[in-house]
Amino acid sequence: MKKRTMSLILGASMIATMLAGCGGSQEAATTAAPAETTAAEAKTEDAAPSGEGGSLVYWSMWESTEPQGKAIQEAVDKFTADTGIKVDLQFKGRTGIREGLQPALDAGTNIDLFDEDIDRVNTTWGQYLMDLEELVKASDYEATANAGLMKACRDVAGGTLKSIPYQPNVFAFFYNKAIFEEAGVTAVPTTWEELDAACAKIKEAGYTPITNDDAYITCMFGYHMSRLIGEPATETVVKEGNWDDPAVLKTAEAYADFAAKGYFSETIASNVWPAGQNQELAMGTAAMYLNGSWLPNEVKDMAGDDFQWGCFSYPAVDGGVDGVEAANYGSQVLAINKDSKNAEAAFQLIEYITKGEFDQKLSEYSVGIPADSANTEWPALLADVKPVMDSLTTRYPWAAGAEANADMTPIIKENFLNLCGGSIDAQGFVNALKAAGN
Amino acid sequence: MKKNKGMIIAFMTPAVLMFVLVFLYPILRTILMSFFKIENITDSFSKWQFTGLANFSKLASTTLFKQSMWNLARIWFIGGLIVMSLALLFAVILTSGIRFKSFFRAVIYLPNIVSAVALATMWLQYVYSPKFGLLKNFFSAIGLDSLAKVQWLSNDHKFMALLLAYCFGMVGYHMLIFASGIERISQEYYEAATLDGANKFGQFRYITLPLLKGVFRTNITMWSVTSVGFFVWSQLFSTVTADTQTITPMVYMYMQIFGAGNSMTERNAGLGAAIGVMLSVIVVIIFWLCNHLLKDDDLEF
Repeated sequence: MKKRTMSLILGASMIATMLAGCGGSQEAATTAAPAETTAAEAKTEDAAPSGEGGSLVYWSMWESTEPQGKAIQEAVDKFTADTGIKVDLQFKGRTGIREGLQPALDAGTNIDLFDEDIDRVNTTWGQYLMDLEELVKASDYEATANAGLMKACRDVAGGTLKSIPYQPNVFAFFYNKAIFEEAGVTAVPTTWEELDAACAKIKEAGYTPITNDDAYITCMFGYHMSRLIGEPATETVVKEGNWDDPAVLKTAEAYADFAAKGYFSETIASNVWPAGQNQELAMGTAAMYLNGSWLPNEVKDMAGDDFQWGCFSYPAVDGGVDGVEAANYGSQVLAINKDSKNAEAAFQLIEYITKGEFDQKLSEYSVGIPADSANTEWPALLADVKPVMDSLTTRYPWAAGAEANADMTPIIKENFLNLCGGSIDAQGFVNALKAAGN
Repeated sequence: MKKNKGMIIAFMTPAVLMFVLVFLYPILRTILMSFFKIENITDSFSKWQFTGLANFSKLASTTLFKQSMWNLARIWFIGGLIVMSLALLFAVILTSGIRFKSFFRAVIYLPNIVSAVALATMWLQYVYSPKFGLLKNFFSAIGLDSLAKVQWLSNDHKFMALLLAYCFGMVGYHMLIFASGIERISQEYYEAATLDGANKFGQFRYITLPLLKGVFRTNITMWSVTSVGFFVWSQLFSTVTADTQTITPMVYMYMQIFGAGNSMTERNAGLGAAIGVMLSVIVVIIFWLCNHLLKDDDLEF
C-alpha cells in the first residue's frame, strides 16, 4: 500500500516536471498555436512585457535578409536609439505570418503591431485592429501621406482608418521602351484598338508583343472583364458562376483575336512563373507584361542597366464602364493590435518606418514606391509608374476580381492559358467555364 | 512476476496523457470540426456553425476538389508504379555485387538531400524550358523536331512533367528500403539456388520477390502516406495560384484554411478538416488492404 502511494506520488511529480518543462505557458499548451508562436511568446513574456517598460512587439511579413526587412530593421534601430523603447522585431516571412498571426492573436500572444497586404490585414484580420483615426489626427500624419492609399485603407476597413500603408504598388502593363521606339510606337496605348495597333507594329518589328506567366494570367482576364462591366460585377460573375454574362464571351473574343494575330508569346500556354518575365521580357524578346510595380526590381539583374522601363494602365475597351483611371493598386500596411497597451509608441514606430528617411530607404533598397508624399524622388526604374499611379481614382482588388472564387481560379487560369495559346476559341473558353459549374 | 499496478500506472500515465493530448485530442477535434463551418482555424467553439454533412457534400460537388482527388489518384498509381519498379530495379542491381556500390547508391539517393525548391526550379526553368531546355536540346540533337517543339509545361503535359520531376526525387528513398530488405535475405538461399541451376531471373522471381513482401508493404504504405501529403511540389509547379493539373487535396485544403493566392477568398477550416478526415480514411483503407493482401507471416527466414 505504502509502495503504491509512493509510486503515485513519484508518477505525479514526474508528470508535473514534464509539463513544467514545456515552458510553463498554459495558453500554449492548451491551444493549437504553432511551436514557433509558443517560443516567441515565452521569449517576449520573459524579456519585454508590453506597456510595462516601454517596449513593443512587432511581427513583420518580411525576411530579415530582404531589402524591405533591412530597411525596417534600420528604422527600428533608430527608433530604439531615439526613444529608448525596445522593439522585439520578428521577421515571420510570408507564410509564417499568413499561417501564424491569427492563431497567435487568438491565443492572446502579445503583439503590438504587424504588417501584411492591405486586403488581408483589413478583411481577414479586421477584428484585431485598432482604430487609428485619433492617432493620425494627433500627429497630423496625413499631411504627407498618399491620399489615394489612405482612402483605400479607409474603404477596405469600412470607412475608418485601421491601417497605415507603406510600400505602395500598382498593377499595370510594364513595357520595354526600346522595343516600342524601334517599332515606331510613339504613345502608350489607352484603348484596346491602340493596343492592337501597337502590337501589330511590334510584331512587324520582329518582337513578341505580349507575354505573361501562369501566376498572373488570370489578372488579364480580370482586368478586361472589369474594364467592360466594372470590378464588382466581375466579382459577382466569378463568384456566382454567371458565365453566360456577355462580358465573358467578349473578353474571350478580344483575347482570341489577339492570339490569332500572334500577339502573345509562342510559349504563353506553358510559361510557368518566372519564365515569361525572366526569359522573355527581361531578355528583350517580348515587349509587354501585365504585372505589379515590383517587377523591375525582380528582374533588374537580368534586364541590365540599360533596360528602359515604361508603364501604362490597362487600356479602356469599347463600351466599357471603367477606363485607364482604374487599376489594382495597394500596398503593404502596418496595423496596431486593438489590445496593445502601447499604441502610441507603436504608432510612433509606424511613422519612423513610413515617413522620411526610412521610407526613402525602403524605396531605394527595394526599388519600390515611397509612401511619404514628401519623398518625391522615385527610383529611376519606376519613373514612368508615377504618372500612372497619380492618375488612378478607382481601386480594384487583386486580379480585378478574377480570383475571388478559389474553386474557379485554377479553372479560369487553365482555360485562359489555352485561349491565349490558341488551343481553344472564345466559345470554347466560355463552355469550359460553364462545364466546371461553380 | 507479481504485477505492481502502481508502477504500471506511474509509468504509463505520462505516455497515455501525451498520446491523448497530442494525438487523440487533435484527431477527435478535427473530426468534430468537419461538421461545422469555421471561418478561422482558431475560432472558439461558440463561433462554429453546425452544418452537418454540408462540408462533405460540397466537396463531392466541387469540380476543383474532384480534380484534385483525381490528380492524387494518378500520382499514387502512376507515380507508384514508376517509383516502385525503378527503386526495385536499382536495389537489385546494387545488391548484386557490382563495383562502386556505395557511389551509385549515393548518386541515386542524392535528389533526396537537395532542396525540393532547387530541384523544381531546375526542372521548370531548365529541363522543360521550351527555349533552351534539356529536353528541347536533346530532341533537336537527335533530329526529333516534333518532340523538340513540345511545350512540356502546357496544360496537356504539365501533370506528367510534375510527376516525372517528383518521381526522380523519390526513387532513391524507396530504393534504400528495398536494398536493406534484399540484404537481409541470407546468401545461402541464392547459393543453393545457383547450385540447383536457377538463373538470376529465377532467383529474383522465386526467392527475392516472395521474401520482400513485407518490404513491399512498408514501401507502399510509405508511398501512400507521402502521396496523400503531396503539397510542396504542387506549390512549386504553380506558384501564387493553384493549377488544375497540379492541385492536390492538400493544396485545396490549404486554400480553404488560409485563403487562395493573393485574393481574399472565403475560408472554411471545417471544409479543410473534412478533407483531412477523408484523406485519413483513404490511408487507413490502403494500409488495411496492404496488410491483408501482402501477408508475410507464413514465411520465416
